[in-house]
Amino acid sequence: MENHITIALPKGKLFKTSVKLLGMAGYSAENVTEDSRKLVIVNDKTKVRFIIAKTVDLPTYVEYGAADIGIIGKDVLLEEKKDVVELLDLGFGRCRLMLAVPEHIQKHRLTDYAHLRVATKYPNCAKEYFNSLGIQTEIVKLNGSIELGPIVGLSELIVDIVETGRTLKENHLVEVDSIFTATARLIANRASFKLKFERLHKLTEDLREILNKGE
Amino acid sequence: MNKTYQVPYGTKDILPGEMKIRRRIEDAIIRVFDMWGYDEVKTPDFEYAELFETAGKSGDFRFFDRCNHLLVLRNDMTAPIARLTATRLQGGEKVKRLCYLANLYRYEEIQEGRQCEFEQAGVEMLGASGAAADAEIIVLAAEAFRAAGLEDFSFSLGHVGFIGGLAEEAGFSDDQIVQIKECLRYYDAVKIQDIATSVNGIKPKIKQLFSEFLFLQGGIELLERVAKVVTSKKCLGALDNLKQIYELVKAYGTADFLRFDLGLNRSLDYYTGMLFEVYLPEMGFPAAGGGRYDKMMDKFGVRCPATGFAIGVERLILSLARQGNVVSSRNWDIFVAWQEGNLKKAIAAAANLREEGHSVKLAAEAMGQKEALEALDENGCATLFYV
Repeated sequence: MENHITIALPKGKLFKTSVKLLGMAGYSAENVTEDSRKLVIVNDKTKVRFIIAKTVDLPTYVEYGAADIGIIGKDVLLEEKKDVVELLDLGFGRCRLMLAVPEHIQKHRLTDYAHLRVATKYPNCAKEYFNSLGIQTEIVKLNGSIELGPIVGLSELIVDIVETGRTLKENHLVEVDSIFTATARLIANRASFKLKFERLHKLTEDLREILNKGE
Repeated sequence: MNKTYQVPYGTKDILPGEMKIRRRIEDAIIRVFDMWGYDEVKTPDFEYAELFETAGKSGDFRFFDRCNHLLVLRNDMTAPIARLTATRLQGGEKVKRLCYLANLYRYEEIQEGRQCEFEQAGVEMLGASGAAADAEIIVLAAEAFRAAGLEDFSFSLGHVGFIGGLAEEAGFSDDQIVQIKECLRYYDAVKIQDIATSVNGIKPKIKQLFSEFLFLQGGIELLERVAKVVTSKKCLGALDNLKQIYELVKAYGTADFLRFDLGLNRSLDYYTGMLFEVYLPEMGFPAAGGGRYDKMMDKFGVRCPATGFAIGVERLILSLARQGNVVSSRNWDIFVAWQEGNLKKAIAAAANLREEGHSVKLAAEAMGQKEALEALDENGCATLFYV
């Protein structure tokens, strides 16, 4: 498989656009769908392999070189802190990591939220954020339905990703601070970036051009 | 008793067959170093914390001795070798060539072929400042890989002077230069691009080079292309130095394994000149790295240029195994077994056979001939000698 490029695609909201973009750059294969039963999809003509990975695992596949490149949200990169090459900002999948509280306990200053419990799927990012403000909190790691935390008394605050803010409103939560904005990134394994440089460089430039035209 | 005893996080046992392979590879590498005139040395596994702090890396495994001195398990071999040279090896030949095989300790998330405790085989060449020394180091690293049985490897060669020179030429502030070096170290092409576009007043061609920084990879033609764009003495000097090294490496035979990578910036801060990393196919992490560090010895009170490299032994073995070049082997030539009453005869026979150069396992208790034949395989012996 040395001559193939292995591409890791993220399950979930980034999947469709990722497949479309790569297809426009000439990297495609038959039956690359999110519910594909096949774990590895190969196109021998263009020497490409696709693997479909859970988002949190995707940087690990790339870090180990199990995949040469991948597409993943900057939020996952900031949380997982894997040693990968960040080649290109793909611009799509824009979302925000923010701090929210139930309406009834909203306070005047951020520092008033010290010593409370925070439910989040992003414990590392949350810890860094609170440390930077000098606020001590207790982080509760959850893997989904973060808004549930304050409702059932598991936590007072949440740090979570929002796209539209609808879920927040429905659950009587208000955003009190924005931590960062993230978009999808093209990433590569460090060694692949050297050993397969010509192909990866060309792919990056082709994608950059496609994105520039689209804008 | 049902308790299973565990080893600490980040450590592992090396089992019989595996250890035999490792020893063979270690021996092959050390032999190459010896052939090139390098003296093997050994330094303590732990040292005073100040040593590593002086060298810029504090160390992860720390503890106190009885007098409350802070001790650190070494996380790097360059600092101990610098200390050893500065304090113990002054005088004598002007250029000192030293090599080592050592366990290092870093508290990291476990990676491929990298536990918290891992082994490095490396060399340091102290007292020589020219491109000749750097070329020797590079070719020696390649020779060590070949001796271990690896033919397929790729060296990425960069230069710290080029990175600093280009940042100065563009007129970046010191803060920005630090940021850019971080981006290079963490391979963040997106942020470099952001910085490059955010700063005004840079010549367009230099700006272009900057935004492509991590993509400045290629053969010797890359150096010529870049040399036409940059104007600062520092940048041109670095490019010229790389070219000289390349020409000298070629004089040893081939430079086909060398590629230039002008954005290469390794995580150790002490490099001052050329630096390189080695990549193997099917291996996601670099298997070796090194470079020139002319300022390190100053910190130990001796002015002395230096250059060197270290190979990650576990990564090298892993790569060999993936290419099918490692067969786990526990082989001895002869199994000497004996029937009741013949032990002394067997001892004499075993002694003779060993004298003749065979590896021999002597049965620990009496057994029948049939039983002895059956025991051959599980003992890893090729033939039976029965008395």
